[in-house]
Amino acid sequence: MLIQFVLVLAVLTILYVFVRSSHAIYVQASKRIALVLFAIANVYAVMRPDDLTAIAHLLGVGRGTDLVLYALVVAFMAGMFSMYQRFRVVDRRYTELARTVAIREAEVVNRERGLLPPRSVSVASGDGDRVPVASEDPAR
Amino acid sequence: MTTVDGRRNEDVWVVIPVFNEAPVLESVVRQVLTVFPNVVCVDDGSVDGSAEAVLRTGAHLVRHPVNLGQGAALQTGLTYAKAQPGAQYFVTYDADGQHRIEDAAAMVDLARSGAADVVLGTRFADQADSVPLLKRLVLRLAVLLSPAGRKLHLTDAHNGLRVFTRPVADNLQITMNGMAHASEIISYLGRSKWRVREIPVSIRYTEYSRSKGQSLLNGVNILFDLSVRNRGG
Repeated sequence: MLIQFVLVLAVLTILYVFVRSSHAIYVQASKRIALVLFAIANVYAVMRPDDLTAIAHLLGVGRGTDLVLYALVVAFMAGMFSMYQRFRVVDRRYTELARTVAIREAEVVNRERGLLPPRSVSVASGDGDRVPVASEDPAR
Repeated sequence: MTTVDGRRNEDVWVVIPVFNEAPVLESVVRQVLTVFPNVVCVDDGSVDGSAEAVLRTGAHLVRHPVNLGQGAALQTGLTYAKAQPGAQYFVTYDADGQHRIEDAAAMVDLARSGAADVVLGTRFADQADSVPLLKRLVLRLAVLLSPAGRKLHLTDAHNGLRVFTRPVADNLQITMNGMAHASEIISYLGRSKWRVREIPVSIRYTEYSRSKGQSLLNGVNILFDLSVRNRGG
């Protein structure tokens, strides 16, 4: 049946985009276009159920509602992947934030314990670079 | 215990990621300190007093405000150590006492001799028998599945004992916060031009380290994380 081909292709496309894509802007734009198209298709399907059924028959699906269900499954999967990717980006930022805080605090603590010499102030950033700010009087 | 002059290792920083290791941590850290004067313990949000154990020793303590994972702890420790003046060699060391400090010293000596930029410990070179069978099979499989591991002819991709020279550490950016960082490090090494050497180390599979060891099922999580890392936005 045609629908099987279409569904499998859709799932594989999602997996491919999910695993391979690296052009963030392109992916983000495609996601938004897909979302708008999906919304329009839904409105259309609600307004003209007979057309939907006709399309369903064309694809080899019994009823229009079944076609909507299939489309929903694919859209749900794409949405989940998209959320996961987004979550990874947030997780990364959160890690960098926590790391910066941890290192700042550690420098104070370890200096008090006498493990670090009193030094000029510098700013630790999450990716390991250090940006000097200003020299500080060591006998603070 | 070999007697190694502590002064000789002023340029070495040992990074120990710590998560709820209080029962053994203090003795492990004290032992490391006898050979390497610079130790940084990264407490990854422990709730069992591991941080206090570190404070009783002469090791540097960095505390993650929340639990982030072992990979994140390693990167934090490396970031901290790299900021210290004179740091040239970076050792990663497990907090549960499964490594022998003599092995770490031998690995640093190898890195110092200039024969390698990266030295990795391997459990499989001679005395593979000390590793439980199932664990051995899974770890072997992990190497075979990793293109970088094959390219570098590694036998053990997930040993916690590693030595990085300064340039290697400078270019290393661990982004896998969880346990997938081991594979991430290997794939970084595989893509780079660094000379990687493996040397045999022995692992003490004590009752304690067994109870702390990661579940083999976690391999599934690692594979998933690795297959989707650095993708999209």
